[in-house]
Amino acid sequence: MKTKFFLLPIFLLLFSCEEQGDLTKDGLRDTSVTESAVLKYRGLFTPTSGITVSGEAKIYLEGNNYKLQLDNFTISDGPDLKVYLSKSDTPNEFINLGNLTSATVYAIPTQVDFSQYKYVLIHCQQYNHLFAVATLIQN
Amino acid sequence: MKKTLFSLILVFATALSFGQGCSDAGICSVGHAFDTTQKQNKNNIEVATIYGVGESDVTYFSPYVSYTRKLNEKVALSTKVTFSSASGSFGTRATFGDAYLVGNYLFKENNNKQWSALVGWKFPFTSSNLKINDYSLPLDYQASLGTFDLFLGTNLKYKKWDFNTAIQIPVFNLNKNSYFKEYSGTNDFPSTNLFERKSDVLFRTTYTIKTTNQKFTFKPNVLFIYHLGEDTYENIFGQRENIAGSSGLTINGNLITSYNLTKESSIELSLAAPFVVRDIRPDGLTRSFVLGLQYKIAF
Repeated sequence: MKTKFFLLPIFLLLFSCEEQGDLTKDGLRDTSVTESAVLKYRGLFTPTSGITVSGEAKIYLEGNNYKLQLDNFTISDGPDLKVYLSKSDTPNEFINLGNLTSATVYAIPTQVDFSQYKYVLIHCQQYNHLFAVATLIQN
Repeated sequence: MKKTLFSLILVFATALSFGQGCSDAGICSVGHAFDTTQKQNKNNIEVATIYGVGESDVTYFSPYVSYTRKLNEKVALSTKVTFSSASGSFGTRATFGDAYLVGNYLFKENNNKQWSALVGWKFPFTSSNLKINDYSLPLDYQASLGTFDLFLGTNLKYKKWDFNTAIQIPVFNLNKNSYFKEYSGTNDFPSTNLFERKSDVLFRTTYTIKTTNQKFTFKPNVLFIYHLGEDTYENIFGQRENIAGSSGLTINGNLITSYNLTKESSIELSLAAPFVVRDIRPDGLTRSFVLGLQYKIAF
């Protein structure tokens, strides 16, 4: 009896795990834009010091909604990388679009004015380190 | 025996029907260093497994191991390591939570009044940003809140009554949580990106009942926790926002039933649930029912 009480929590202490659920399973992310979507803005990513990046940020208008797609995108590994739509090439005034995954198509809030938000940033939120910047130009 | 059994069932049923418990990050369980019947034993080990039911469909399994060493008749040090596994619509995430180091000082007994004081520190094992499949998770699924907390408390023991008061202050915030409700697919949990939490104060009253054969001990207790201000988070525009309704009072009820297996060891069952809660609990401390099973040995 005593042994079981000791072994059960010790077993659990050694057992760290993660298991997908209904809200985190594969296939939930929006990963494409429709054929009718219109490419409005685009920008090539340039890295900050010590970072390797390639690819392009593309902003499409799909119906009445803007969406951001990362095209042919690769970047150095980093913890907790986020995608920001930013007013400058530094993360001061921005919209956090969520966690970086190269396949995700990001929904952009409807009130965004692209004459002000001209940059897409890849930023490590955990350590507050900027990884890459793309300056958007009208297509 | 029948009488004892009937009493046991009655007390359990009362506990369940009135809804009792503890829903806080650590303040509820600190300060048991001198809580042992075997005064001559200097070491005490507790091993426990706790099952909890939280908001929405989240369930928790949270074991811990605790070691207490009495340095002398007045001073004791306790350490504790927690683990948490949370399961629900986001999936299952399990890992170490926090480590605690608590020092207790026992003052001289005077007219049946025994005062003790505690000072403690909580160390997080994570920055509260565990993910599943690259999806950020609400704090309900995080094993730790990612804060270094200071505990200060005192206890008055008077005959069969215990009165505890304590404060839990987040001194350093390492919380790097990145959960946004907007991107999660559910409205069940509030956004907690770069969460900052406020302090809690606690007041607990416990009454101890022992059966005549000293085998069973019942400790019904009521726990008041006041969250001293609204927690905040950074919204998608990078601006810090208060989380309205996150301050205020939680009242928990708890029934601890322990059975002495030998003079040195005991087994303990704890039933708990809150019956007054804050409007919103972004810290994920949302247990609506807690069942704990503990084995304690002194040597």
